Amino acid sequence: MEEELFFGSAYKGSRNFTQHHVTTANATGFGAAADDYMERGIDLNEQLIMNKPATFFFRMNSHAMLGVGIQSGDILIVDRSLKAVNGKIIVAAVDGELVVRRLSQTMNRVVLAAENRQFKDIVVEEFTAYQPWGVVTCVIHIIENSLVHFLNNGDMK
Amino acid sequence: MKAIVDCNSFYCSCERLFKPHLDNKPVVVLSNNDGCIISRSDEAKNLGVEMAGPYFKAKPLIKEFNVATFSSNYNLYGDLSWRVMETLRMIVGKHNVEVYSVDEAFLNLEEFAGDDWQSFAMHIRKTVEQWTGIKVSVGVAPTKVLSKIANHLAKKNKAKTQCVVVLDNEKKINEALQKTPVNEIWGIGHSYAEKLTGMHAIFSAFDLSMRSEEWAYKNLGGVTGLRMIKELRGEPCLEMKDELVNKKMIATTRMFGVNVSNINDIKEAVATYASKAAEKLRRQQSAANIISVFVVKKEQNHNGNFHRGTSVSSYIRLPFATSSTDELVKPAVQLVDRLYEKNQLYKKAGVMLSGLVPDETIQGNLFVPKQINNKRFLMNTVDNVNFSMRDDVIKFAASGTTRDWKMRQEHRSPRYTTRWDELMEVR
Repeated sequence: MEEELFFGSAYKGSRNFTQHHVTTANATGFGAAADDYMERGIDLNEQLIMNKPATFFFRMNSHAMLGVGIQSGDILIVDRSLKAVNGKIIVAAVDGELVVRRLSQTMNRVVLAAENRQFKDIVVEEFTAYQPWGVVTCVIHIIENSLVHFLNNGDMK
Repeated sequence: MKAIVDCNSFYCSCERLFKPHLDNKPVVVLSNNDGCIISRSDEAKNLGVEMAGPYFKAKPLIKEFNVATFSSNYNLYGDLSWRVMETLRMIVGKHNVEVYSVDEAFLNLEEFAGDDWQSFAMHIRKTVEQWTGIKVSVGVAPTKVLSKIANHLAKKNKAKTQCVVVLDNEKKINEALQKTPVNEIWGIGHSYAEKLTGMHAIFSAFDLSMRSEEWAYKNLGGVTGLRMIKELRGEPCLEMKDELVNKKMIATTRMFGVNVSNINDIKEAVATYASKAAEKLRRQQSAANIISVFVVKKEQNHNGNFHRGTSVSSYIRLPFATSSTDELVKPAVQLVDRLYEKNQLYKKAGVMLSGLVPDETIQGNLFVPKQINNKRFLMNTVDNVNFSMRDDVIKFAASGTTRDWKMRQEHRSPRYTTRWDELMEVR
């Protein structure tokens, strides 16, 4: 119920299906032989989200992380329940701004490293307001234009 | 043991989650139509911004101290509320969580043995904060009323308590009761509090807890008062309720945003509100027997005095209980005809549905032939389309097509968590 309320009608997340989901079944009860092998389809929410209440989506708006395959305009899946440890790609609040960088943490130094030579690393100094926000778990890069249109306008074209 | 988990300045915390530059800065959130202030960050409280005060009154203060101001963004708050509650359900189990309001939940901790409630409460607080980014306060005590008091104390002195207060022995309970004035006890309203201090010289929760059960029965409204006293003494009387009971009445009321005098405009607005109310009705699977409509005239300003606008209302008892939008819009519009006066300015209207019954067991009326519920099917389809496409793409023409009678929201932030095209951008 609540899932439906907040995550849209497309996400059923149910492990059950009835005969009505089996489109080839008919009133006589004889369906196509393939019906025996009918199973639930793949649901991206289930595959890509480990912890739903802690998972958020962002949109990348720079080329700072090109080196790890994050392009400007890509969607990032961010999990707040994972710990931001050395080496992870994280979203962090730095001086009031949210950025995506690789966390490089040593005993006494925190550096947020860009994966693009044109960008400077962010060195967290004593007076830098720094707070890890979450760990990036996945990048969604859309290559087909009609899908971009579909996502932005909700209709097929 | 019971616990209550309460989000700190919930709406402000939601706004801050995606705007870290507002950390430690004053923030306020406004009600529907930007009328009143309904949430304040601690910094805004310290500046003297009043809770539930009208926005226009606080404007000079807000300007002077550059207070970040937001219109309410219920899409965002609703989503984050679900996340907080879901996190709690994952920690203590679904059956042990009672959602009490959008930003509060009671937890039943009977299943958890142990004596280190402090660490357990701290674990809950930290997990919710890490997963959802929302800061909460936790009060733990043997009863619901005491856990509310514990929570209150946790919020009063956040630095010292780290937003967690546990009352797990008599000494701590008594100390907490002594610190709590009667008007701050959960369940004691304004008038009772005045009566208690004025007539009975009861000032603190501790004073009240020392009264006898007979006294409470006589002076505190019978069984309710008796339970209150017992709860204050640490004897649980209030059990966990099921999540959010169905509402007994459903209302949709809004300010128009601009003043309106044309009857057709008012009808459009009222039809919109009736549709919204009908949707709420269907969501909890109820049907209504009575519909009432009220309209409020614009306040007259004589010599600079503000008058509350006068409100007139009227109702219709429906021939049978219904949850269909069309069957509710029709009488709603008729009621506008009944209430409307020419040459008047109106600023607000509302629709209320009452006499609610479960939708499945609608009692037939002997004199009205029972209708086949094709309507229910139609309504389900409309609701599904509106839910998945959002923004009420299908509506009844009575609601008008040129204007949307929606809230005025001049400072609403993006719906970061529910709209694909409004996601937060990172660099």
